[in-house]
Amino acid sequence: MNASRAFAVTKRVLRDLKNDRRQLALIFIAPLLVISIFGVAFTGSVKDVRVVVVNGDTGVGNSSLSDKIISNFDTSVLNVAYANSESDAVGQVQNGSASAAIVFPSHFTQSVVARASGQTSVAPANTTITLLADKSNPNVSDPIIATVNTAVAQTIQGLGRQAPASVDSSNAVYGANAQFIDFFAPGIICIAVWQLTTLLTLISFVGERTSGTLFRLLASPLKESELVVGYAVAFGIIGIAQSAVLLSAAVILFHVTIVGDVLLAFGVIALLAIVSEGLGIMLSSFARREAQAIQFLPIVVLPAFLLSGVFWPIQAIPEWLRPVSYVLPTTYAVEAVRSVILRGWGLDKIYPDVIALLIFAGVFLVLATILLRRRE
Amino acid sequence: MKDDVCIRNLEKDFNGFKAVNNLSLRVKHGEIYGLLGPNGAGKTTAIRILCGLLRPSSGEAYVLGTKVPDPGVAQNIGYMPQELALYRNLTVHENLAFYGEVFGLSKRQIETREQALLKLVDLETSKNLLVDELSGGMQHRISLACTLLHEPQVLFLDEPTVGVDPDLRASFWRYFEELRDAGITMLITTHYMDEARHCDRIGFMRGGRLIAEGSARELLELTHTDSLEGAFLVYSRTEGLQ
Repeated sequence: MNASRAFAVTKRVLRDLKNDRRQLALIFIAPLLVISIFGVAFTGSVKDVRVVVVNGDTGVGNSSLSDKIISNFDTSVLNVAYANSESDAVGQVQNGSASAAIVFPSHFTQSVVARASGQTSVAPANTTITLLADKSNPNVSDPIIATVNTAVAQTIQGLGRQAPASVDSSNAVYGANAQFIDFFAPGIICIAVWQLTTLLTLISFVGERTSGTLFRLLASPLKESELVVGYAVAFGIIGIAQSAVLLSAAVILFHVTIVGDVLLAFGVIALLAIVSEGLGIMLSSFARREAQAIQFLPIVVLPAFLLSGVFWPIQAIPEWLRPVSYVLPTTYAVEAVRSVILRGWGLDKIYPDVIALLIFAGVFLVLATILLRRRE
Repeated sequence: MKDDVCIRNLEKDFNGFKAVNNLSLRVKHGEIYGLLGPNGAGKTTAIRILCGLLRPSSGEAYVLGTKVPDPGVAQNIGYMPQELALYRNLTVHENLAFYGEVFGLSKRQIETREQALLKLVDLETSKNLLVDELSGGMQHRISLACTLLHEPQVLFLDEPTVGVDPDLRASFWRYFEELRDAGITMLITTHYMDEARHCDRIGFMRGGRLIAEGSARELLELTHTDSLEGAFLVYSRTEGLQ
């Protein structure tokens, strides 16, 4: 291995990029767009959902428990309208003008007070708020149910009554104040680097084959391993640059929290870029033209996107599919980068993932070299 | 005089198709050897074997006395593939510098030789242009400059004049003759029969075989024709009859 020859390849790849604005845009602007779209789409919580309240509660004297509960509704989530009958309210849910009907029984306050003072003869129906929601979209119905439950709990607490048992989740081991984007941003960065590095190496290498440059290089003193390593270093550097841009965007635009050592995260991403580069070179030997190379893209992107724990943890993936997750290099990269950024873990804790990536890198680079060295 | 290139009973089989069939030939030191034949005659395959890019199915090939493929030969050979083999997103200078570095040249060596070569191919003013911005003919000249940069002893030029206009073809052959006079050995493939008269010796290839060999004058005399194309057709017909 001659380092200066490998470095010549690294410089060549980086110069190629510098001179080609379209490639530069692909590397930096495309992932920025992706993270922005995901950020905007997933950070927006459900807002201003129209619900129809049917309040038959007559109250006790001047006070009405149902009014207190309604006043405790989080009005940023619920947009409250009123109806006189349950059938009218349900009709509005049915025709789509409201997402839920919330019905208070007629002797609600009275029954709750009676029950609280120990009367056991009160019928449960009289103390039950009926929530008839359009549950076809859980993303909307779940927040409605949660909001109503919270309002009920707050109201009861406001009356000075303590629930017999309670849960306090205000302190966190990791990820205090974390939003969903904090969870998936590290994953998106890994997937962007994985996808673009594989794609770029694949296209560059098919280009090296079709333009004849690979022939010229293989007829020169440059060894196949030097070519592979030269490319690996270049794409490692590009991967770090990409993740720096993406992470900055995530912090600036979406206030993603960074707890750990950013440089360690970049190191892991560079390693992932090297793995992807090896894969790209390997795949390039099965494509004769660029158009054929592009066809590999869904195979590279989709499993990594869905099965490496970007949006939901590996534990949520059906057991029979998990082996696929474990053979994806992105699974280890996503886990390691997320642990560093969100939990502040160091190398002492993420080393199993790093070792897995090192093994992938080693195997892929060796295979890429062997495939290049193969002579018909 | 010793042979810089020597091929003995070379065969190359691609899934049952014999691209090169029992080919034997020698190229002497300081000679221009023209390998002539139609497309698909096996010229490129033979050159790729000599450059170590393909493994022969049987037979032997030697370059500068070393049996190929052998990584040790690479430093002393220059290979110009048909496809031009340039990085289109790099400038002329960046291409030359890259190939120079791959061949282990120092920055200073690259600079001096680059200057001389760009003068030779008459592209001194295009040094900082992207290859993509150059005309086809200019790209051919740069490809040749990249091949010559490390001052190889043996040159393998695969169809160096395809798609090159007549003026440039004439100047290419002038370079080749100059290089030969400087002691460089050349194996050039072409299907332009006419320009092969510049070669010291010519081998006609057809269907992977060498069907005739000699100087242009010998081939013309033996076939009683007045053009190499005519001579090739005569040999091609006789070969067909056999």
